[in-house]
Amino acid sequence: MQDASPGRFVLRVAAWLPLAFLVWYLAGPVLAWPIAFLTEGVARLAFRDLIQGVEQQGHLLTIVSTLKPALATTEQSVTGVISVEVNTLLYSFGLPMLAALILAAREPHSLRKLLLGYAVLAPLVVWGLVAEFLKRVTFDTAPSVAAQTGFGPLQREAIAFAYQFGSLILPTVAPAVFWVLTHRRFVEGFRARDGGAGNAT
Amino acid sequence: MRPMVRFFLGFLVLQALLFGAELTPWGQRWFVVPWTDTLAAISAGIVKVFDPGVMADGKLLQSGSNGFAVSIEPGCNGVEATIVLVAAMLAFPAPWKRKLVGLAIGIVAVQALNIIRVISLFYLGQWSFDAFDFAHQYVWQALIMLDVLIVWLLWVRTLPRAAPAYAAA
Repeated sequence: MQDASPGRFVLRVAAWLPLAFLVWYLAGPVLAWPIAFLTEGVARLAFRDLIQGVEQQGHLLTIVSTLKPALATTEQSVTGVISVEVNTLLYSFGLPMLAALILAAREPHSLRKLLLGYAVLAPLVVWGLVAEFLKRVTFDTAPSVAAQTGFGPLQREAIAFAYQFGSLILPTVAPAVFWVLTHRRFVEGFRARDGGAGNAT
Repeated sequence: MRPMVRFFLGFLVLQALLFGAELTPWGQRWFVVPWTDTLAAISAGIVKVFDPGVMADGKLLQSGSNGFAVSIEPGCNGVEATIVLVAAMLAFPAPWKRKLVGLAIGIVAVQALNIIRVISLFYLGQWSFDAFDFAHQYVWQALIMLDVLIVWLLWVRTLPRAAPAYAAA
């Protein structure tokens, strides 16, 4: 029988959250491995002419582009290519939030929901990473580098929106939506048993 | 269409519309910038009670004693969290009166926690930049969305159970 007392539920979430964050942070390199694999897949499928490869170092991914730098520097010669380092943690911090919510709800099949949650959220993390890569090579590089991407005005707008959506909305909203969808009975249990005034419209 | 599906689709559409509106130059100029400046001013007003040297300058919250400042950027101004709450409450089948009351109380609750976020980050940054970075980039983002979810759940709790809104599968 579920315990739908809001106070106790909030306390349980607060109790699980620090542990969930600790595990998520320590397991960052392991959790990032499938994400790196997926990012590589997306790069090969959708951005073959723009991305050479994806390399993982812990929770960081280096997306190696095919773009040539504008100027030779001591760090990067003109014969090299532009690489963009992206942080998987920046787009996956909803995972510990989701874990705390799932564990605090005390519903059956918690482990299955955690694994399913990771499987659902991982592609959204990839969205954020790829959108950040595209945003950085399009907007944060020299005009001569950005010009190599060949993106038109509409595509640049789409990249800006995808980046904002992938960094400001998806990382937090997606775990919350997933939790509500997989805990409908629990959410329903939150409703006052005696009801309230008025009817739904 | 099943109520659950209708709610979910309505939530997604409303959220996309509101987020898109937020990103327009008009939305930035007339809503986001004044909102963020007000947030900085309120935060400075609260902090001044126990730390008189603190001041707000636009979206900056700055210490007069050591010059440390935090800039309230997108994602930290609570606008996106508010958009999510508004979309969730408007999309959920409930009487309009309850939606409006829920929105008024909910937005205040979310912004209250957001002010605590800004002030805590302001002092955390003066103590340790690593701690500031971790709290800023990961912890507070999750806490604010948890706040939105809990506010929404509490609001759902006030709705009549008999309403044909949210049938458990």
